[in-house]
Amino acid sequence: MKYLTACLLFGIFVAQPVSAEHLGDFLSYFASQAKTENPNFAGFSPNRGEQFFKSPHAAEWSCSSCHTDNPKVTGKHIVTQKSIDPLAPSANAERFTNPAKVDKWFKRNCKDVVGRECTSMEKGDVLSYLQAVGS
Amino acid sequence: MPERRLIWDMPTRVFHWSLALSFLGAYLSGESERWALVHLTCGYTFLGLIIFRLIWGVAGTRYARFTEFVPSPSSVLKYLAGLVKRRPTHYIGHNPLGALGILAILLLGLICAVSGWLINAEVGPFWLEPVHLISADILVGLVLAHIAGVLITSYLHRENLIKAMLDGKKQAEAAQAIPQKRPLIAFLLLICMVAFWLWSFSATLFSSTVETSVVISDEKTK
Repeated sequence: MKYLTACLLFGIFVAQPVSAEHLGDFLSYFASQAKTENPNFAGFSPNRGEQFFKSPHAAEWSCSSCHTDNPKVTGKHIVTQKSIDPLAPSANAERFTNPAKVDKWFKRNCKDVVGRECTSMEKGDVLSYLQAVGS
Repeated sequence: MPERRLIWDMPTRVFHWSLALSFLGAYLSGESERWALVHLTCGYTFLGLIIFRLIWGVAGTRYARFTEFVPSPSSVLKYLAGLVKRRPTHYIGHNPLGALGILAILLLGLICAVSGWLINAEVGPFWLEPVHLISADILVGLVLAHIAGVLITSYLHRENLIKAMLDGKKQAEAAQAIPQKRPLIAFLLLICMVAFWLWSFSATLFSSTVETSVVISDEKTK
């Protein structure tokens, strides 16, 4: 399983070595995925995303446990106390430019926070929230 | 039958079992951020141990030295041929095939630990990620091969190699034994590890004490 993940990550890296993406690319990707997961999908909601970001889930943590309630400030890892650069692209231009990183951290953190993988709808909602806090 | 005499010095044995435990701990704690501190502490312990072993491979006692056990390709092939016939040549220290495995474990371990360190420090390219994961999985394979090798040669030579890595003794002639146990170096290695673990977990230990005292003072105010 780990090996597969590694190959996948490597594949993603090799396939797209130079194309720097931005948050909008991920939004449209997750939107197309969400449509296949749910035929009634009617777009992402920043409010739903904010709710999802700030409320504790099955595994007791919330996104804000580490990223704080304000995605524009530096966060702190709840276990190691390591500082985490801001998540909102308005505060940190490097965020959501690398598909492999986006894939890695959604996978890892959803397992830790929600106790399962996130749906494309949840990911898109959170992204639309992170985009909204910038404006 | 010659009697059992000292072959593996103490630092080599402390290194061996600490390396095994730190790898197991790091491998099992890698999936979740909940275990991040255990993963990092095990990983850095693992890295420190490998660096120690590289030094000990030059400064250690006879059978711990690279000059004693780095094998030539022909000796590996000869040993393999013997193994196929179920009559491998008996070595007091590492056999050539085992030695090759040990060198591979040290090299892959170094790659795995350093890539993990760079990932955590958020320096270097993203392909360090698959390097870290794949090297860890290859290490698991090498460890399993190592354990299989230990069991197979223990059986073929009718000697308990696991016990040898615990008390350091193997059946050998007096001239083959090593003269020194080097307990002081082993003790220092252990102290370094314990100190690192205490330092690494001190933040968590301290914050949990603070939380407890807050709870106590809350109860007092009630």
